[in-house]
Amino acid sequence: MVRESLVPVGERPDVAQLEDLAFELRQKLLHLCGTYEGAVHIGGDLSSADIFTALFEYGLTVDPTDIANPSRDRFVLSKGHAAVAMYIAMAIRGFFSYDGIVQTYGQLDSAYGMHPCKVQLPGVEASTGSLGHGLPLAVGMALSARGRGETHRVVTLMGDGETGEGSVWEAALVASSNKLGNLVAFIDRNRQLMTSFDEERVNLEPYPDKWAAFGWNVVHIDGHDMGALVGAIDGLPAPDSDKPTVVICETVKGKGVDFMEHNLAWHAGSLGAADLERAMEALEASREKESV
Amino acid sequence: MPITFTFGEFLGARSVIGTTLAELGDEYPNLWVLTPDIGATLVEFRDKFPERFLDVGLAEQACVGVAAGLAYDGNIPVVSGMLPFLSMRALEQIRTDVCYPNLPVKIIGTHGGLVGNGGSTHYAVEDLTLMGALTNMTVTSIGDPLMVGEVLRQSMSMTGSLYIRLAVGKKDKVLYEPGTHDIRIGKGIIAREGTDATIFTHGTTVAQALDAADELAKDGRSIRVIDMWTLKPIDQELIIRSAAETDGRFVVLEDHLAYGGLATRIADVVTDNGVHLKAFERLGIPQVYAGFGEDEQLRDKHGYGLEATIAAIRRVIAAQP
Repeated sequence: MVRESLVPVGERPDVAQLEDLAFELRQKLLHLCGTYEGAVHIGGDLSSADIFTALFEYGLTVDPTDIANPSRDRFVLSKGHAAVAMYIAMAIRGFFSYDGIVQTYGQLDSAYGMHPCKVQLPGVEASTGSLGHGLPLAVGMALSARGRGETHRVVTLMGDGETGEGSVWEAALVASSNKLGNLVAFIDRNRQLMTSFDEERVNLEPYPDKWAAFGWNVVHIDGHDMGALVGAIDGLPAPDSDKPTVVICETVKGKGVDFMEHNLAWHAGSLGAADLERAMEALEASREKESV
Repeated sequence: MPITFTFGEFLGARSVIGTTLAELGDEYPNLWVLTPDIGATLVEFRDKFPERFLDVGLAEQACVGVAAGLAYDGNIPVVSGMLPFLSMRALEQIRTDVCYPNLPVKIIGTHGGLVGNGGSTHYAVEDLTLMGALTNMTVTSIGDPLMVGEVLRQSMSMTGSLYIRLAVGKKDKVLYEPGTHDIRIGKGIIAREGTDATIFTHGTTVAQALDAADELAKDGRSIRVIDMWTLKPIDQELIIRSAAETDGRFVVLEDHLAYGGLATRIADVVTDNGVHLKAFERLGIPQVYAGFGEDEQLRDKHGYGLEATIAAIRRVIAAQP
């Protein structure tokens, strides 16, 4: 698998290697979006691509060859519509084959659908898709770990938009009240809902303060800065500490493809062959620009 | 503490739940009990197993979601609360977080039907329709307080999701002597044998149906009373057999909307199987917000009290097809 060719077994990639892996994830996302005829939630996939890479390649203690290991970290994708980004990040990590994803995505009886299903795709930790459900599930898994005296972490990834759901704040209270220091919520703060820029409709600010007021340890970073993501992961409090942590990642919806960035038209969409070429060129250009 | 009771007397289903869970907690180290602030009768479990008891406060959605997270990790969560809120505020969590991945979460609660005099905010009258619609959900409604303990015990080895509906659970008539009836998911209980007609019911109205049968026995009428406590899956064989054995005359009585609950399920079985009935009547809550009053007063007011039940049975017996 790609991971093994890049990094010796047993070692974690460095920031430059992670950036390469995130680039590979974006390339594969665009490729799938250009291959599959239906719509892909490409905007929110691209905004969370660096977070997925940081988690699956660096942060999470998981083993693709031992998916039921009781001491593995648990990852719950709360923003289930970013399933494709998770599938591909997991494929790059060695859980699945990318070819298997791209050849069957969205087709009848495929394990790889628009929203992840644990029953159909072992390796995925929870069936999600309806927004605001991931945090309560992660709280349950974190309580279970505590109850058993296990020291792994439970990590969830939410979109900022879904934190409009009341169930998120119910669970936020339960998590801090029960001192779940083994729980970490990453938030893809791309500031766009499906049909609007979120501050136009729902004012989430002062966002970090809201989480702090709910009793959470708050980390606020640039979600496209791999060094910052690695720093946030390295700086997580010990799982036996007594405050859950939220890592608010400032991101750009459509990140890496200029015509998709900050563009409501690309919440979900499909790339034809011509647009795929254009998107790939934009992605290359964006990378060159960043490395200058 | 072992449960003591006298047959035919009253016992609180809630105290049975509390005692049973505290016992099961010893046998099942992965049993968790969760509640959204309805924990008074769970004190015994809480005190014995504080590390496996979670009161989330007033947060039904989180309560069910957290239970699902626990179940994903190999635990057996029991969520205990008030059904008007659990069945509706947390309906999507029950459907998507519990039933979709087929997790062994038990939802048990009180205030099924026009009970407790809380008004329409506090009556679960649609819950059997809602829960009955969910794939992977087993739906039960239990009147006998000791049966609640037995079903909870059996549920520990069940793989799927389970809903247990109770009335208020403070004072329930003991209907069956333990060991005298076969209590199994999918099997109805013949609470009283009879040949002239069958009355199907569940939960708190089983006692009322038995009283009606007693009353009619004085006129020489022989009424079969079936406690159809397991609504889904339902005992099709018993329904079909009862049509043949009780002259094709059915009454369905339930403390739930008259449409969408047990009566609807029985009508489905009858229709799907081409069963020929001579008469069929349903007694239950009409499509209204029921107002205040004591349980019995509300059942009388809305047409499914004891007198109405006796009258309905007389009608189906007299019906000329």
